[in-house]
Amino acid sequence: MREQRSPHTPIVKTTEVRKCYGELDVLRGVSLSVNQGQVKVIVGPSGSGKSTFLRCLALLEPIDAGHITLDGDEVTWLASGSRRRGPGERALAIHRSEVCMVFQHFNLFPHMSALENVMVGPVHVRGTPKSQARQEAMTLLERVQLSNRANHYPHELSGGQQQRAAIARALAMRPKVMLFDEPTSALDAELVREVIDVMEELVREGMTMVVVSHELRFAQEAADTIVMMANGQIIEEAPPGQFFTSPQHERTQQFLRVVK
Amino acid sequence: MTFDWGIFADALTSGAYARGAMVAISVAALAQATAMVVGLLIALLGRSPILPLRVFAWGWVWLFRAVPTLLQLLFVWNALPQLIPSLRENWFTPFLAAWLTLSINESAYMAEIIRSGLNAVDTGQTLAGKTLGLRSGQIFRIVILPQMIRVIIPATGNEFITLLKLTALASVISLRELLTVTSQQVAVNFRFAELYGAATVWYLAIVSIFIVLQARIERHYQWSSEGRHALSGALNR
Repeated sequence: MREQRSPHTPIVKTTEVRKCYGELDVLRGVSLSVNQGQVKVIVGPSGSGKSTFLRCLALLEPIDAGHITLDGDEVTWLASGSRRRGPGERALAIHRSEVCMVFQHFNLFPHMSALENVMVGPVHVRGTPKSQARQEAMTLLERVQLSNRANHYPHELSGGQQQRAAIARALAMRPKVMLFDEPTSALDAELVREVIDVMEELVREGMTMVVVSHELRFAQEAADTIVMMANGQIIEEAPPGQFFTSPQHERTQQFLRVVK
Repeated sequence: MTFDWGIFADALTSGAYARGAMVAISVAALAQATAMVVGLLIALLGRSPILPLRVFAWGWVWLFRAVPTLLQLLFVWNALPQLIPSLRENWFTPFLAAWLTLSINESAYMAEIIRSGLNAVDTGQTLAGKTLGLRSGQIFRIVILPQMIRVIIPATGNEFITLLKLTALASVISLRELLTVTSQQVAVNFRFAELYGAATVWYLAIVSIFIVLQARIERHYQWSSEGRHALSGALNR
């Protein structure tokens, strides 16, 4: 199912993605395309479907209709009624490792040290030899300024340190795109900066990212495009300059008035 | 008649008591191990999306918790051979019967303990495992299981101590454990205080050793950077 690759092939592309929980339509046809090295920040009021969309993009939840492609490969995972279509469990797991997600509550494994958290994916998913995985994990921890905390367990780390370790853990999979689900929302104000710094470093290095965040400063400085979601749909997509100064949609204007 | 320390010491250090204690420990340890495996299975069936499996798990816990352990022992030892002729052979020993009964009985309790242990693990852990590309079996083994074990250690320790004492019930099916040995000797010389006292000391000793062991296991699962030898994740498995 591999399409012809060209420089214009998006890394991830969703087409008319729909998702409902029972009666509730959470996503009502969401189409988004992210190219290599692009950073898209999704904003919107709570309940707009941002996080659900990200979870679908991360292949953590099946969708009810639409398509998702990853680097040109169809990875759509449908859970429509009786027939469950899409990649098998093994293929799904591999695809997931290519769209690694960073969670609001970090979700580090509490029974593993920071180093082991970063090693677990490469060792068990990629089959990397342990010595090599350890070395690479140390390098990644250095990148997020945590090399002196490598042997500490999550409960011995601050929130900001935990989130940086979680970012290193995702990076260890060398994902094609990284997804961030409100990565700083659970942090004390003074710890937000250290996580944002790491994320901005990733942006400079050319990482493809989709970020759900309320950090408008990060959005303004790092995003190529800001995506406004409301009621399960994308209602506006624009570069930060345009988005913040002259939002087109009335709902966006209203949202910006509230959050600013 | 006063307490005869000589008789007490003889009983305490006798081979019969030591063998009885060994039988009690063996049955309890084997039954506990079996019950943990069966209990895990029942707990997992209990969260299955398939209704008949959930009903089976519920029924298992319901049945084996409701019926007195002593009745279960008598049933397995006396009634089962009546129903299943092959159990009338010599290989079906009191030891086997006690192991089987206590395993099944204990598995019902362990299933409940493990169920609560599984519920205690945050759902975000599964999501994190998934996003790294771990498959569900790996997530269970590497991510969920160690966290579940930590939660269930205290309750499981309680269960083991209870189980150790339940082995005394097997004296009714003539298993030569500590209480059977004691009763047999009492029937000979009627030195109740000395012989019961010796059995008491044995039980106290076994439980004390186990308490130390449990404390070590708990320390093992503390996941602190000062004690780094402790179970370095699931990575060394």
